[in-house]
Amino acid sequence: MSIKYWLDLYAVLIRSSIRSRMQYKLNFMLGTVLAAVIQIAEFLMIAIVLNKFGAVKGWSLYEVGYLFAVMTLSKTLYRTFASDVHHLENYLTTGELDQLLTRPVPILMALMSQNIRLMPGELLQGGAILYWSMHGLMSSGQIHWIALPYTVFVIFTGAIILFSIGLATATVGFWITRINELQTLTEDAAQTAVRYPLILYPSWLRSILLVVIPVGFVNYVPSLFILRGEYGSWLVYGIAPLAGLFLYLGLKFWKFGLTRYQSTGS
Amino acid sequence: MKGDIKEMSHAQPMIEVSGLNKQFRTPVVKEGRFAGLRTLFTREYRMKEAVKDISFTIHKGDFVGYIGPNGAGKSTTIKMLTGILHPSSGEVKINGVNPHQQRRQVAKRLGVVFGQRSQLWWDLPVKDSYDILAHMYKVTAQDKEKRLKELGELLVLKEFWLTPVRKLSLGQRMRADIAASMLHDPDVLFLDEPTIGLDVTAKRSIRGFLKKLNSEYGKTILLTTHDMDDIEQLCERVMVINHGELSYEGSIENLRDRIGLPTLIRVTFNGAYQLPVPDGLVLPIEVALDADHTFRIVEANNREVHIEANRQQVKAMDILRLISGWGEVADIHMEEPDFEDVIHRVY
Repeated sequence: MSIKYWLDLYAVLIRSSIRSRMQYKLNFMLGTVLAAVIQIAEFLMIAIVLNKFGAVKGWSLYEVGYLFAVMTLSKTLYRTFASDVHHLENYLTTGELDQLLTRPVPILMALMSQNIRLMPGELLQGGAILYWSMHGLMSSGQIHWIALPYTVFVIFTGAIILFSIGLATATVGFWITRINELQTLTEDAAQTAVRYPLILYPSWLRSILLVVIPVGFVNYVPSLFILRGEYGSWLVYGIAPLAGLFLYLGLKFWKFGLTRYQSTGS
Repeated sequence: MKGDIKEMSHAQPMIEVSGLNKQFRTPVVKEGRFAGLRTLFTREYRMKEAVKDISFTIHKGDFVGYIGPNGAGKSTTIKMLTGILHPSSGEVKINGVNPHQQRRQVAKRLGVVFGQRSQLWWDLPVKDSYDILAHMYKVTAQDKEKRLKELGELLVLKEFWLTPVRKLSLGQRMRADIAASMLHDPDVLFLDEPTIGLDVTAKRSIRGFLKKLNSEYGKTILLTTHDMDDIEQLCERVMVINHGELSYEGSIENLRDRIGLPTLIRVTFNGAYQLPVPDGLVLPIEVALDADHTFRIVEANNREVHIEANRQQVKAMDILRLISGWGEVADIHMEEPDFEDVIHRVY
């Protein structure tokens, strides 16, 4: 099977998925607008708190905005392309994974092309906050143009890390079926926590967010160099092999989990 | 050389199953707060043996029915054959390839239809699903057109060609699904309750089509169903599974014989008749035909006598000869045991 075959097939599946989604236009538009409103409200909360207290442990509002934006964009990337990995529970409880397993396509690809989720609201909001915070940091001379390519790089590696965490969490579903609460912990709570600088948290929590659920590598660790010039550029480059390792482990676990799929009775 | 292989391929094993076992291990679900998390760390499990040590071989061109009561393990078996579920132990080979090691390679040569749920893209027109599947299975444009034309005629797909799948009637959806499973011209077809919930006409048209697939196109078909007419009209061979174990494998006639359900003989007499039993005895009663064999009189009224006899043991002619001595026989009617009853006995 050539790469061209897979790319073509992926394109066909994505197109079909978008066309299916467009059957319900109002739902799509409402969802998009609401998502954007929620995102902005969330950042406003942080902004208000920070404005009131000024900097947190030496992190300025711009810097926190940067953490927030990078996390939002990585997450948007992950959720756009792997929406149904996050929603694997639906497939497990209904046994819908059966259909995907009878096709000559890798399950992960089938799953990731099922319901591609366009998230223009999150993209716009993340982009706007990133622009605002980087603009502010550049005007004060804290960062230079080189921060821009670093940031794009970090958003992508971050998406891979979030995907790996999401995949590993979803895989647990092959044993316990219902994974909502676990996802709240490993995905939602963890992602929300690292919107603030990790320095805020007690060291045990910091270790968890770096080692057990490595979300800290999405935005906090790279920003230490990108924004503050600490350690060195290896901090940013080193994240790529790390993300690769997480992805590898996630995929291994996923493969193993698939052999434990129990389907449903009929 | 290639031709030789084709020639010999008739008795070629298509589906080989040996020592297949499947146990489901489900954690005992907790209740209350953080139920999900607590379930995750629980050490309590319930074990259920869904399939126990099943072995069989299905050859190329066979049409085999796989039957058993609800929860007997039919679907679990099918799901293991198609590579959806991994067996706890044992091995499956489809045309020599293990679907659990090379799922995608096997899937390419497999058609699967689940009567309970559609394989098609729910929100898109039927036609679009075929386009996607053609892409997926690398069916060329010409082949696709050719097959859809054939399938379209046999299954009358044109009438709902542009209708979204979610708006199809059950019968239409089933036809669309079967066509979809045939688009890539698979060697083997797995059908899990393809006639479930369909009306008589729809069932008939689907059966006709399946028959054709098997006899004219030489497809190997394994079918599960609860409809005994499906089995009787389509399958040469049946396998019965009960409590996860194969309890019968062979032809339908053999199955009937093995169970030995009695044939019902209704004899109508012209005028009075005399039963060879004392008056006042309660029916049913066993009557001796000769030294070793008996049959039963189950009912007798003023003109008619109902007799049950196991035709494996006694010859109908012998019984008739005996009966003709009771009075003047006007009419005889014989009823073979209903297949549904046969199956009921096996379960």
